[in-house]
Amino acid sequence: MDVTLTVNGRQAQVEIEPAETLLGMLRERLRLTGTKEGCNEGECGACTVLVDGLPVDSCIYSAAATSGRSVETVEGLADDDLGRELQAAFVAAGGVQCGFCTPGFLTTLVAVLRENPEPSEPELREALAGNICRCTGYSQILDAVAATISGRNRR
Amino acid sequence: MELSTADSVDEALDELSRRGERCRVLAGGTDVMIQLARREIAPEHLLHVERLGELRAVETDGSTRLGALVTHRDLAVGRLGPGYAAVAESAATVGGLQTQVVGTIGGNVCNASPAADTLPALLVHDAEVTLRSVRGSRTVPLAEFVVGRRVTTRAPDELLTTITLGRPAPRTGDVYLKVGRRSAMEVAIVGLAARLTFDGTGVVTDARIAVASVGPRPLRSVGAETALVGGTGDAESVHAAAKALLQDVDPIDDVRGTADYRRRVIPGLLGRAVRVCAQRAEG
Repeated sequence: MDVTLTVNGRQAQVEIEPAETLLGMLRERLRLTGTKEGCNEGECGACTVLVDGLPVDSCIYSAAATSGRSVETVEGLADDDLGRELQAAFVAAGGVQCGFCTPGFLTTLVAVLRENPEPSEPELREALAGNICRCTGYSQILDAVAATISGRNRR
Repeated sequence: MELSTADSVDEALDELSRRGERCRVLAGGTDVMIQLARREIAPEHLLHVERLGELRAVETDGSTRLGALVTHRDLAVGRLGPGYAAVAESAATVGGLQTQVVGTIGGNVCNASPAADTLPALLVHDAEVTLRSVRGSRTVPLAEFVVGRRVTTRAPDELLTTITLGRPAPRTGDVYLKVGRRSAMEVAIVGLAARLTFDGTGVVTDARIAVASVGPRPLRSVGAETALVGGTGDAESVHAAAKALLQDVDPIDDVRGTADYRRRVIPGLLGRAVRVCAQRAEG
């Protein structure tokens, strides 16, 4: 079957299998390999992408369900001010170590900060509960978010 | 396998009537997509219903009615309003943000997991479920709909469309408490919901207690409820209620915890729930 959707601002028409996951479509058909496959069962958040602005585990989301909708991946964040600022802050704060979870953290954080530009730390921790990082211990990631928020407030 | 997307409830009911058992309803997919990947299910047809706006509504005039496609996130941020803290708290513990924004209340009910977080919370609010088919519509108590481990009385041509909750009386408090190894991303070792109504002098006049992860299906404990009514949430009545509750549950050993551990945490959990209900009933 065919789906037509918007991926990172561009229209795409893709031939998919009916039970295919959004992750499979992005990585194998559209070659957008920035989105990572971690647990493949909605536990780790490495595969998070935005569907109509909402952060979704693409490994357990139906590709067919994205018909007519807008999907943003970590590749798309390169064209997004907030996405770029977060990426730079992750690098500066040491929020990236092995890097496998990073695309999922960045997409989740873009969605969270678009909805609430200044979340409290408990709100932030709760919003990130579905993203697992085994390297950083999370502190550097929270530091990166704090730096991004204060950077935006200074402008 | 084929997939079709329903554009209206009537269209979905037509499909279900034609395909019956060969068809699997797909909403947010947080259970179905995993079951497909693990080859636990292999339907001929996936009926995608997620975009049916008519099943996303929440109505709070008179009784509280929520469409089956209301998401866990909708509930976690309090779309049902005051009086339904247990529902919000239970939905907030179903996975993380990524699964809450797509996972639906109707899906959680129909999946009928023994560990389903929202089920005890719905049970203490006297939830009824409405199922529609081309044959008509029926409304049954949730306790009679979920009848076993992953078993419901949904007929193959039926679609769960609405969940109706009772309206909490004045001076009522409710809560959902969950025991897990950590506070996030956990399948419950024990989940417990309570809703208590007090009179002006602090005596419990009405009680609902329901638990998950301690038997094949989430269930209410009428014995525990009876033991609490007439008391003040005092140690004695909580002790009697815990004893009754332990008689109603049938926990097993699994990877998350032992049956013995589950039994041991229930009395303390119940005591905490009663205290929180009393506090919230005042507020």
